[in-house]
Amino acid sequence: MNKIHSLTTYLLLVSLLLFRFEETFSQHTGFKPIVNFPDFKVQFKLESSKINSIVSDFAQEKVLTALTEKIKSEGKFLFMRNNKVRIEYQKPFTYLVMMNGEKMLVRDNQKDNRINVKSNKLFQQINRIMIDCVQGTMLDSKDFTVKVFEDDNTFLLEMTPVSKALSQFFQTIVLLVEKKDYSAKSIEMREPNGDKTVITFINKKLNAEIADAVFAL
Amino acid sequence: MPKLPMRYLRYSLLLMVAFSCASEYKLLQPAMLEQSCVSKIKPRGFTTSWFTTSVDVVGKHLSGLLLIKNQPDSSTRVVFTSEAGITFFDFEFTKNGTFAVKRIVSQLDKKPIIQTLRKDFELTLGIPFRGVTPEVWTMNTEKWYGVKQKNETSYFITDTECASLLRLELGSTRKKKTEVFIRGKDPHDPDSVQIKHYNFAMQIELRKLMRE
Repeated sequence: MNKIHSLTTYLLLVSLLLFRFEETFSQHTGFKPIVNFPDFKVQFKLESSKINSIVSDFAQEKVLTALTEKIKSEGKFLFMRNNKVRIEYQKPFTYLVMMNGEKMLVRDNQKDNRINVKSNKLFQQINRIMIDCVQGTMLDSKDFTVKVFEDDNTFLLEMTPVSKALSQFFQTIVLLVEKKDYSAKSIEMREPNGDKTVITFINKKLNAEIADAVFAL
Repeated sequence: MPKLPMRYLRYSLLLMVAFSCASEYKLLQPAMLEQSCVSKIKPRGFTTSWFTTSVDVVGKHLSGLLLIKNQPDSSTRVVFTSEAGITFFDFEFTKNGTFAVKRIVSQLDKKPIIQTLRKDFELTLGIPFRGVTPEVWTMNTEKWYGVKQKNETSYFITDTECASLLRLELGSTRKKKTEVFIRGKDPHDPDSVQIKHYNFAMQIELRKLMRE
């Protein structure tokens, strides 16, 4: 009887392990978990710190899964270390978001909104996501737990929010980073209801000269 | 203080109170229902569209994208997202008039906010006018087609010739609460929509997004 019990427990454990194993792999097809996370973290920090600026086009696609609707937009993305980001949506609407340290500017067709992100913790957390993703500081973020996977050309960072407040906006954020230069390739924001937004960087220029005035608020 | 100016002050105050209590709808005169006008002008919602959206509420301004989508089951979904893709709310208006919040972020998940938005979109989509025969009034050069719901009435307003829809309105028995202006050649596929509140400072503007 004891033998049967042990065998059953063993089979249950094996099947649970197999299930977990399969689940990990099925989440990101073609990617496998990195072997040594502490080494990766050191290397990632070192390599991404070499990127001082990014000038890039971007394409964004928001998918409303249940409603089978998509909306595509595109524009220009600029980053300068430290903590300076300018995102200009140009098609099919014009919209500008600029972050410079703790200050933020949002400009739509009608108005300029200047926000001190320090006054709102949630706002601060959401705005830091983009900055952390492009300047390689997401592994230090206290707002997310991060799992790292890789294929031949890319690292995949799966970020899961820690707080309840952020969890209502994101189930996970998946960041793809190019192995050749450690720059962000795409950011996919998955929402709890299955909707997702993917931002893909195109025609990236790293460490190009950008005037400070571009980020003036 | 001399007596005469004091008396004037009292009369002025009385007049002000009387004026502010006067119904904005007291000049409405009952009129004959013209079924052809109702069939032609009655708001029936929009075709599925995305709109750039700006909201000004008590001194705060925010913007985003609004999707109005007609579903195969004849329900209509109204989804508001930020330009960067975060969904703020997703409302469902079914064919039989029920309303459901499919999703809303905690910052907006307050009964007065949901009720205000619900009424705004119900009026904009013409939901109060579905399956009912409206009452008709005239005022100045306008024809008012109204449907009463509890303490409020939803109106769609046309010119006397019934050539076009001038606006939609929600009012209590005395006061105008909300006006909706639907602009463009086709009221079912509008270029822009303006929702204006009169009982508190809030205005929503939608501009149709042309997609490639």
